[in-house]
Amino acid sequence: MSTAELTKLSPEERHKLVSVPVNGWGLKTLLEAGMIWLKTNQQVVNRLNVFPVPDGDTGTNMLLTMQAAFDEVENSGTENIGQLAHAVARGALMGARGNSGVILSQIWRGFARALDKEETMDVKLLSEALTEAKETAYKGVVRPVEGTILTVINDIAAQAEVSTQRTSVFTEVLADIVEAAEASVERTPELLPILKQAGVVDSGGKGLLCIFEGMWRFLNGDPLDKTVNEVMPLSEMDLEDAMETIEPGQDYEVVIDFSPDPTFNLEKYYEELTKIGTSIQVGEGDGMYRMHIHVPLDSRYQPIDHTMTLGTIQKVMMENLVAQMNNKGTVKSPKINLTQVKPGEVAVVAVSPGPGLSRIFASLGVAAIVQGGQSMNPSIKELLASFENLPTDKIIILPNNRNIIMAAKEAASMTVKQVAVIPTISVPQGLSALFRLIPDADFDDNVSSMIEAMDEVETGEITTATRSVEIDDVQVEKGEVIALHNGKLVTSTHSIDEACEELLIAANTNEYERITLFYGEDMPQSQVNQLSDKIRTIYPDHEIEVHEGGQPHYELIIAIE
Amino acid sequence: MTDTETKHNKLGSILIQKEAIASIARQSTLQSYGVVGLAPKNMIERVRQLLIKDAKFGVDVEFDHEGLLIDLYIVVEYGTRIISITNSIVNSVKYNVEKTVGLPVRRINVHVRGLRISDMD
Repeated sequence: MSTAELTKLSPEERHKLVSVPVNGWGLKTLLEAGMIWLKTNQQVVNRLNVFPVPDGDTGTNMLLTMQAAFDEVENSGTENIGQLAHAVARGALMGARGNSGVILSQIWRGFARALDKEETMDVKLLSEALTEAKETAYKGVVRPVEGTILTVINDIAAQAEVSTQRTSVFTEVLADIVEAAEASVERTPELLPILKQAGVVDSGGKGLLCIFEGMWRFLNGDPLDKTVNEVMPLSEMDLEDAMETIEPGQDYEVVIDFSPDPTFNLEKYYEELTKIGTSIQVGEGDGMYRMHIHVPLDSRYQPIDHTMTLGTIQKVMMENLVAQMNNKGTVKSPKINLTQVKPGEVAVVAVSPGPGLSRIFASLGVAAIVQGGQSMNPSIKELLASFENLPTDKIIILPNNRNIIMAAKEAASMTVKQVAVIPTISVPQGLSALFRLIPDADFDDNVSSMIEAMDEVETGEITTATRSVEIDDVQVEKGEVIALHNGKLVTSTHSIDEACEELLIAANTNEYERITLFYGEDMPQSQVNQLSDKIRTIYPDHEIEVHEGGQPHYELIIAIE
Repeated sequence: MTDTETKHNKLGSILIQKEAIASIARQSTLQSYGVVGLAPKNMIERVRQLLIKDAKFGVDVEFDHEGLLIDLYIVVEYGTRIISITNSIVNSVKYNVEKTVGLPVRRINVHVRGLRISDMD
């Protein structure tokens, strides 16, 4: 039965499929339900990774293991639960992927052994099978680490034993098991310090919970194909894509940033939201939540009112999607496509002050981008996080700002990876260095070639003075336009054009061939075009390029090479 | 080939004995799922293990100018997928050794010396 078919069944039909005592067909259906629910939650489990090693895809590994187990029995018509369970165990063993997959295969192996000569399974047998599953799982390791999937199967087996003494109703026992598994997963950070440090629960344990939860949800008549409470890191919220799927009648997009009260219950929150609108996404980061929803015109204030009762709202953004769809393309900026590095290759991390520059860096082969620049320095943690999960251990950082070099060096010293910081103090220097990148060449060669390239470009920056001051023998009045050449103040004037001209003279532009202008977020494109025309008349033999940089504070960043 | 690997800093040198690295690799291996024990590398070690407990039992550590070379001799639980288990061992040993010692691990060889059968299916 396909995923869609299974989830469409009514509660009555579901119970007909899984009659109690459970036979081979019933177990097959339950396993499929567990697998579908695991698949739905695959990314949630994947994100719970703590080790920066390639074993960071627990959700996928467990799903592939379950898939292999299920493939083994999908076309089998056996009604005998013992035979079916053995086939499942064999499939899981052959297809076991990753650590958690191997443990999962052991769980099914023990489970199958307990059902060996049985035709059907009642709650008593379920409990025995789970105990056997636990024992087999523990046998596979000399020094079991608690706070992992092992702890969760242990707690599941213990709960099953307790529950079967209380009741003989299959669904009640299953509900108890799921509840115990949930509590067990929640407890994993207390048992395993590394989880606590990373602020996550154990991924393998969570995966196992998903499998049992899926079985229970199936019997309970709940949907299996969409997550109820998927929370993603803020950086992964894809609001751009959410805009693509505009439904008729859902005219308004509301995005709310809020810090929840201690009593905040995410599942209930989701439930309420689904009554109000569609395209719901909730992201989490720094103790703050961001909620995204599409709602009809007349209920556009409802999400705000509702969220207000659950926490403190920090920011609300509301947009008319219909109006936005009409001028789509002019407003929307293309997505940033970072380079996928292969293990062993050299990966470059660039600090970029604006979205336009990020895109340019990405198009030139950068593997990770950290937002930051003047007056918004990224933290060491952010820098570290940008490359810790890359699948290579050869990392080059381009800080692209004088104030970020220190943090980058600090981040480099905190990792086991081989990290070099190219001390680029401006975006043009970073770009110039990046041109020399040869990902599959020797690490040290890349570094020395990049350091060499860094000084082959002259950097110009145009910005507005925030206070009156005298530096480098230039008198600056607050509000005037100032030009910096390689970080040194050149002039202070009243117009951008004038500042730019003086800058180009100071940078010895005649000696070079190419001028590239990156305009900032406060600079209209039309003004840049006029300016570039003007520069073209002064330097007719030069190549002049204009790109959107999107950086704050600096009207223009100029590369002269 | 010496018995210690040296790292230098401003004030002096840090010498790391092979045994130290072997202990880390050993702990990490024994915590890996599917491993039920380490195995002697050869006859001599088998005999010696009877007399003295050795941190290097079942583990071999060598250095060259590019990094550490680690050999692990293990016994695996019967009925598990060996390829998945050995992959996990390589990952976690590399991670733990590099993280704690700060030296790059160049190669890890896992020798499966036997299977332990606790249950027949």
